[in-house]
Amino acid sequence: MTAATDAPVRRPLAPAGGGVPLTAARLLRLELRHNTMPWLLPLIAALFWFDTYRPSAATPPYWVLRTFWNMGQGHTIIDFAPFVAGVAAWVGSRDGRRGTADLVTAAARPRWAVQLAAWAATAIWAVGGYLAFVGALFALYAHQGVRGQPPWWWVAVGAAAVLAFSAAGFAVGALYPSRFAAPLAAFGAMLAMLMSSQTGFTHTSGWAQILPTNSNGNFQADSGMLYPWLPDLPIVRIMFLAGIAVAALGLLGLPAAAGGPRLRLAAAVTVLAGLAAAGTAAGLAGTARLGPHGLVIPALHDAANDRPIAYTPDCAGGGFRVCLNPDYGSELAHVTAALAPVVREVAGLPGAPVRATQVAAKYSAGEGQGGQAMTISGHPPVLGMPLGALGIPGAFGWTDGETAGQLQLLLVHAFVGAGNGVGTPAQQAAQAALLQGAGLPFASQPNLLGSVGLPSWAPATGGPGPTTPVPATGPIYAAARRLAAMPAGPRHAWLAAHLAALRAGHVTLAQLP
Amino acid sequence: MNVELTELTRRFGHTQAVAGVTLEAGPGVFGLLGPNGAGKTSLLRMMATVLPPTAGRLRLLGRDPGGFGPRREIRRRLGYLPQNLGYYPGFTVADFVEYFALLKDMPPRRVPRAVAAAIEHVGLGDRARAKLRTLSGGMLRRAGIAQAIVNEPELLLLDEPTAGLDPEQRVAFRALLREFGQRSTVIVSTHLVEDVGVACTEVALMDAGRLVFHGTPGELVTRGEGSGAAGDAPLERGYSAVLAAARSGAAARS
Repeated sequence: MTAATDAPVRRPLAPAGGGVPLTAARLLRLELRHNTMPWLLPLIAALFWFDTYRPSAATPPYWVLRTFWNMGQGHTIIDFAPFVAGVAAWVGSRDGRRGTADLVTAAARPRWAVQLAAWAATAIWAVGGYLAFVGALFALYAHQGVRGQPPWWWVAVGAAAVLAFSAAGFAVGALYPSRFAAPLAAFGAMLAMLMSSQTGFTHTSGWAQILPTNSNGNFQADSGMLYPWLPDLPIVRIMFLAGIAVAALGLLGLPAAAGGPRLRLAAAVTVLAGLAAAGTAAGLAGTARLGPHGLVIPALHDAANDRPIAYTPDCAGGGFRVCLNPDYGSELAHVTAALAPVVREVAGLPGAPVRATQVAAKYSAGEGQGGQAMTISGHPPVLGMPLGALGIPGAFGWTDGETAGQLQLLLVHAFVGAGNGVGTPAQQAAQAALLQGAGLPFASQPNLLGSVGLPSWAPATGGPGPTTPVPATGPIYAAARRLAAMPAGPRHAWLAAHLAALRAGHVTLAQLP
Repeated sequence: MNVELTELTRRFGHTQAVAGVTLEAGPGVFGLLGPNGAGKTSLLRMMATVLPPTAGRLRLLGRDPGGFGPRREIRRRLGYLPQNLGYYPGFTVADFVEYFALLKDMPPRRVPRAVAAAIEHVGLGDRARAKLRTLSGGMLRRAGIAQAIVNEPELLLLDEPTAGLDPEQRVAFRALLREFGQRSTVIVSTHLVEDVGVACTEVALMDAGRLVFHGTPGELVTRGEGSGAAGDAPLERGYSAVLAAARSGAAARS
């Protein structure tokens, strides 16, 4: 130490006046420099690569499909949450673990303000890391030519989730400071995510929609392509997560050591405000109803989001034109080729479509979009294809052959007027015969029916049968085989004469030739 | 008076750590002596506004620390080195001192210069960028002293500040105490009587939570003269004599 004679002349300090923001900024800078979160970001990056990016990159290049994995099932959040909660708890418990509580308490700045600076540094690193990783992910997607619009609202939900886990973890560490706070907070976060996912599998509506990894109601078939991503559910989830964050941070200000009476009153109000926001959000999620483009929350819904996205279709085909949304342009040749045999089979019959165009898929809750039918309407008749609701090659294990068969099946399904149901036995037999004529053998039809969510025709005796594939036998297939065995000319003539009655459901199996 | 204690008491359950201490201290270096468990640390923690008293009256720098506003004003003008110094191993010496300067609400524009001065003062100028985890025990103690003096406190509370310092550093540290004592109240809790003899203008001796002596180091020396008390130095003999007298008196009362 320097002797007294060498010491600089000291003057009493003036109390701090208007330098509070600058002090807070300097504290934050110090905390940012010494935060633990950056050390874990490489580990999270590795997890993000293997758990979020790689599985999603294996799906076809559509934002909606990749986002369903990343954000719908919550992998981006799951990869971050346990680490963020653990690190936040570690930082929050710092003064307790390091024995600096007396030093910090004896300082003039309220303990709550000091803790908020430490939390803010953790949150900035965590949310910054999340946004950087998601940014890199999206950049990779863009490089790969992913089609549609990015789901920005869902990115915001993820950021809010990271923020909420950082606040909750920090509160655990600060209020129960020990070396076990961090692992307990991390485990708690993991458990919360898993329970959120599990609850989502069983609760497809109501309050459970608020849970950040509940994948229901999130990712509609044509979101970001034929219509905008609906922000209703993201908004209430952000509100819920922000409410949790605010309440957790408010808790830190309640202990006597946190600060003065006014500050503690403000902390209490903060806790109540956070809880009110989270509760309100859960309540709003309970009012959600299924709209054609996803979950609609009446109190938040903006009708402008229901307007379809304008586009100039990509078209192909000579006589029979097939037009798709340009985002589905890569499927155009495949769709055109798949429809061609059936189009040839029904050509010239009353109500046969002269062209096909893509229509927006209607969202249905739960896993999968099965059972959505094509429609034939207008003069001249036009086939409407909800392509977004169908299996696309490469998505969820669909092959080119399965996709082609699915398109053919749904075309004849619409052609005989079977609507959204299984159709009458005569309609089912006519469909089977037409598919056979188009090159789709009877034996492969039951599997195909199951794959699109329609009951098999085989055991049907007038009512819907099971959706599990069964052999192509039974009275319907017997009738179908008779019809298919007819020479093309007489069959065509019979269909031309009886199509109206068949579509109206007035033809029985016995009346089929 | 910068420190006014009236019948100050602190209990932990059934244990009375500080038992009705009355004391006044103005500018100067005030030595607080006593054996282990005498209540020195509890008394210092109360003066540091970390520990609320169970009973009695406490006024620091002319303010009552019971109210939030006055307590904050006191803390702005307070320097405190706890007995067990906690620290953040990843912080550098400069960061550590800056951190507490900011926590003491120092005007932020004055912080960099004050931090550099405090670090120079404790002789750690060449280790300012070293992480705390790399420092020896004595250097850590000096870093702790630096954070305590960074705001040029009007009341400086040091609990066992010379523990771990080598003889050369202790000499320099005593000079530092004398310098601060010229305009601030410095209260040094220690059981090293030689520190008191050299640096302190006043000394108090605690035993079993009570104040058993308050005077100058010279008066303490006088108490030991001819008493036959144990000790190699006059102050040590005074210390032993006062303690022995206090304990025999307590035994007689009980």
